[in-house]
Amino acid sequence: MNPEDLKYHKEHTWARVSGKKATIGITDYAQNALGDIVYIDLPEVDANIEINSEIGEIESTKATSSIISPLNGRVIEVNEDLTETPETINEDPYGKGWIAIVEIDDVAEVNDLMDASEYEKYVEEEKK
Amino acid sequence: MKLVILGAGPGGYVAAIKSAQLGAQVIVIEDTEVGGTCLNKGCIPTKTLLATTELLHKTRNSGEFGIDISGQITPNLSKIMDRKNKVVSTQVRGIRSLFKSWGITLIEGRGKVISPDKIEVQKKDGSTDIIGADKIIIATGSRPAQLPLFPFDGEHVLSSDDALNIKSIPKTLIIIGAGVIGCEFAFIFSELGTDITMLEIMPRALSTEDPEISETLERELKKKKIKLMTGIKVTGVQSQLDGIHVYLEGGKEFVAEKLLVSVGRALNSDGIGLETAGIQKGPKGEITVNEKMETNIGGIFAIGDVTGGMLYAHVASREGIVAARNIAGADEKMDYSVVPSTIFTSPEIASVGLKEQQAIENGIKVKTGHFQFRAIGKAHVIGEITGFFKIVSDETSDRVIGVQIIGPHASDLIHEAALAIKTGLRTRDIAETIHSHPTLSEGMMEAAEDVHGEAIHVPKK
Repeated sequence: MNPEDLKYHKEHTWARVSGKKATIGITDYAQNALGDIVYIDLPEVDANIEINSEIGEIESTKATSSIISPLNGRVIEVNEDLTETPETINEDPYGKGWIAIVEIDDVAEVNDLMDASEYEKYVEEEKK
Repeated sequence: MKLVILGAGPGGYVAAIKSAQLGAQVIVIEDTEVGGTCLNKGCIPTKTLLATTELLHKTRNSGEFGIDISGQITPNLSKIMDRKNKVVSTQVRGIRSLFKSWGITLIEGRGKVISPDKIEVQKKDGSTDIIGADKIIIATGSRPAQLPLFPFDGEHVLSSDDALNIKSIPKTLIIIGAGVIGCEFAFIFSELGTDITMLEIMPRALSTEDPEISETLERELKKKKIKLMTGIKVTGVQSQLDGIHVYLEGGKEFVAEKLLVSVGRALNSDGIGLETAGIQKGPKGEITVNEKMETNIGGIFAIGDVTGGMLYAHVASREGIVAARNIAGADEKMDYSVVPSTIFTSPEIASVGLKEQQAIENGIKVKTGHFQFRAIGKAHVIGEITGFFKIVSDETSDRVIGVQIIGPHASDLIHEAALAIKTGLRTRDIAETIHSHPTLSEGMMEAAEDVHGEAIHVPKK
């Protein structure tokens, strides 16, 4: 269910790496746990972001939650469409619901993140 | 007993009525209008404007509630101002008729204390009078503070007084000061369509509130596309052809049609005879009073904003009652331990008692409880789900020592907490009290339960 080509962070964010760039977003598990998303506070373009740190916030009808960066880098683009239609994250978390594109500081670091099967196991553990 | 009161704001007029009820012969001197800042330039007119902008917001979002509206939805500023003026004048007439019914004499003019038993009045018709008094209460209030760098001109550089009487909706507005007044006006003007930039010297908006409250409010500002810059020092302001230029430390510059300066209040303690009468003032010009609201001069009392401290209408009114009772022979002291405060932003903010940080600084072992509005059914019913309740309790005694709320109707919800703190209730007492469903008040019960990790509508942690 979680795409094989992505890398996953324990705070339920993902990264799709392509060269020195990565697209990031929140996982299907995260959007499901949050429920209907009503607002997203996006990171700012040009902001330097750090792994394990908050880069934005998501509000759903049930909860408010921090978006935690899966890597170190600099934001080069954000998905402005989400401002008007944050529910896209619920509908397509790995596609149109992407949050930001980041220039990665050190591509090698990405290998420390989980792959799809590791993340699935991790989520199963979380549920217990 | 003849009592003369300087100022008919929420301090002075309440003291007047209470004293009359207790049998005094009361004369009130007021140089603008009864009701003071609160009624004429503060609480009441701003909340009237806010009522309009809230309705405007709801009307614009009526589709969410299943109502189709066709045609343009446009605020009409002159009608909005007419309504505001009507609300104010109705209240003004109300106070005037209360004065009449209690036999209180209102003199329109400017009073000045000459001695503990004499007051000089410059009347509006130009004549001067000397009035004798057995006791005096000074309740002259405060006004918008002005910074020497950018004095108010009423046209481009506005005080909060000016902002209440604008003739057209500015396209762009810079607000210096993201405190209570600045934030309230930001939400009002934003809904009217003004593009707003707020500049705040402190690291966050509403810097005296709980940091979690500021954080939530700042997110709401962002949702409304109100720009907020914190930790900003303004170095200069200049009026040019294309608008007001505001210069910041570090060389940055902003331009807007108008500038609202909301950097606090200055006290009206000059020109009222304090020096002549020998009445003591503190460093900010505040009249020094004891807990009985007496100044250092026997027979002269002072209440409200002019005494500094908490600049709230409801504090001034209570001080007025305490002063009136003491003048009538009681021995009553003012108690400031439980003073609810409210901020009318969208959503509202309310607070009473100690904040978590204050309690920790006071050496109290603190336990807190939180509850989100979005977990309350009624919040979804009314379509306003942002915000939370926060209860601060003393871990040892379980007593409620402070509550902060940001969310719909926070200003009404806070009083359950005020009563709880005033009467020494424990969080258990709130948690074990059945709260009606479906109401927003359920949030207080659940926040109290959350202090013990027992809230029902919170997922397992």
